[in-house]
Amino acid sequence: MTDTPNNGTTTASATGAPRGFMRRAGVVIRTMWARGTGRFALIVLGAWILVSLVSLVWTPHSIWQTNGYHVWARPSADHWLGTDGTGADVFSWLMAGSRTNLLIVVLTVLFAAAFGLLLVAMLVSRHTALAHGSVVAIDALISIPTVLIALMLAVPLGASVTVIVLACGFGYGLNLARVARPSAMLAARSMYVESARANGASAPRVFFTHIVPNIMPVLIVQCSLSAGTAVLAEAGLTYLGVGVPSGVPSWGHSLSTSVRFINIYPLTVLWPGLIVTIAVVALNLFGDALREAADPLTNPRLRGADGRRHQ
Amino acid sequence: MRYLLRRLALFVLALAVISAVVFLALRVLPGDIATIMAGLNSPPERVAALREQLGLDRPLIVQYGDWIGGLLRGDFGTTMLTGQPVASVVGARAQVTFPLIILGLAIAIAIGIPLGCASVLATSARARGVYQAVAIIGGAVPALWGGLILILLFARGSGLLPILPASGFPQGGWQEPAQALASLVLPALTVGIIVGASIMRYTRSALQSVASTGTIDMAMACGMARRQALIRVGLRLAMPQLVSVIGLTFAEMITGVMVIENLFALPGIGSGLVGDLGHRDLIAVQSELFMLAVFFLVIGLFVDLTHRALDPRLGEDDD
Repeated sequence: MTDTPNNGTTTASATGAPRGFMRRAGVVIRTMWARGTGRFALIVLGAWILVSLVSLVWTPHSIWQTNGYHVWARPSADHWLGTDGTGADVFSWLMAGSRTNLLIVVLTVLFAAAFGLLLVAMLVSRHTALAHGSVVAIDALISIPTVLIALMLAVPLGASVTVIVLACGFGYGLNLARVARPSAMLAARSMYVESARANGASAPRVFFTHIVPNIMPVLIVQCSLSAGTAVLAEAGLTYLGVGVPSGVPSWGHSLSTSVRFINIYPLTVLWPGLIVTIAVVALNLFGDALREAADPLTNPRLRGADGRRHQ
Repeated sequence: MRYLLRRLALFVLALAVISAVVFLALRVLPGDIATIMAGLNSPPERVAALREQLGLDRPLIVQYGDWIGGLLRGDFGTTMLTGQPVASVVGARAQVTFPLIILGLAIAIAIGIPLGCASVLATSARARGVYQAVAIIGGAVPALWGGLILILLFARGSGLLPILPASGFPQGGWQEPAQALASLVLPALTVGIIVGASIMRYTRSALQSVASTGTIDMAMACGMARRQALIRVGLRLAMPQLVSVIGLTFAEMITGVMVIENLFALPGIGSGLVGDLGHRDLIAVQSELFMLAVFFLVIGLFVDLTHRALDPRLGEDDD
């Protein structure tokens, strides 16, 4: 997005607007940090990534270390959250689970964004049959719940991360296209798209340089909502036995294990769910904060020093 | 009229596509259905016998035609475990799931719409922040965890305030209405609180978008108080949008409903489907998945048509 010299931003350096991806990213992060909700989201997501990385090399106990004489133990100095039915350390499993969830969130969002953009491209296409067909197809398919798609996929594929990513990505992609449609249509019918076409710009070029930037705010918010919902879906699907396979650490796995603690040590039930809730809240807030901080219309620090839009 | 015809044609098309997808998902993707159903280490003769018994050795198109023909006659096949017709098994499960969904949705609407209105009406920044936090946190709670917390608070046996049963639908079903209803209260409350948070967010954004058109200001200029204007004019104008999103929450809700049915040991459609999948009863799974998909397509159709009926401003040829 930095190499669009045709809309008057060539004078940006003179007025002090930040140039270069890294510098713009720095400004965006500082703007998010300045607000309470943005700071909360950044801290939680940072801690999540940090814990995932640390869990690759260190957890308090190995997650494979089992002990048949020490099952369903209460929390102690050695096992901070107790042990599960195989005597493995619950806290270590929770830590190791964060990397699986991080992977699922990233893959789901990428798949949903790619699929959603493909659908938006069909919606704004100039082949009217394709455009009308996709509107009605999205309307009809959107009423099929993610969990049904996951169950269908789980029959041949078994419980796996792939099932979660495909089912969620499909559903959230449809949602994204439906939400982004109005602003995409507005851009597609605008004068600048018409003039770009008159200048001989190809359909992909028009799509990526004119339509995608216009739906960017919607895209960011939808992706962050999808990320949060993916974490919740992982928990639900894993509990139902069609998500993350048993033996692979994940928050859903820890949450399902914690059900058994309800008659042993109820406080242990709280932790996995609390972590999921905090992570989902952070993901939702992150999208809102990023949309406000990354949009030059709402963030004056991304515009020139005079704080005025170039006409 | 044109929209109605197009939407109905699409409904039929979607039915056909979904049935083909369900059918093919079980057959074409890796993993032979008869081998999966017979179990991993069963002898080849048993697999062959099962394949012949289920007619899986016939060409795909014949099998598909046979299945669809059965569906059209109301024959959904039989379950492998008990040999009962799938239709009657699902019917019995629906007696648990439908009341649960309806109760859950009623609780969600009773929580969500008033809270959504209140969050728009709130004048102080602090009150707005509190409502916002409630909406965001309520929507971020995993269904399983919400259920666990409610069990810890209210369930007989383990709860702080032991007033409600945590599990078990009575054997006699709705012949024992009091017990049946009592066993649904905690599950419905769990679903209702989580979905209520979404409905609250939707109500809030729908009301705000109505307010941004100036209609509310107009009503206030005509002498209505802000509260009255928002509720009597704003809510009516927001209704078509709300019906759409509440319809969509239906699809969202079903994951939670399945989880909750499993957690509270309710013999409903969701827990039954998961159980059949666990028993590898794939013929039953195939019909159940299709029935559920049809159910949601019908809801989608109903919502789209209601949306149109509620909003006379939508023109005939408008998409």
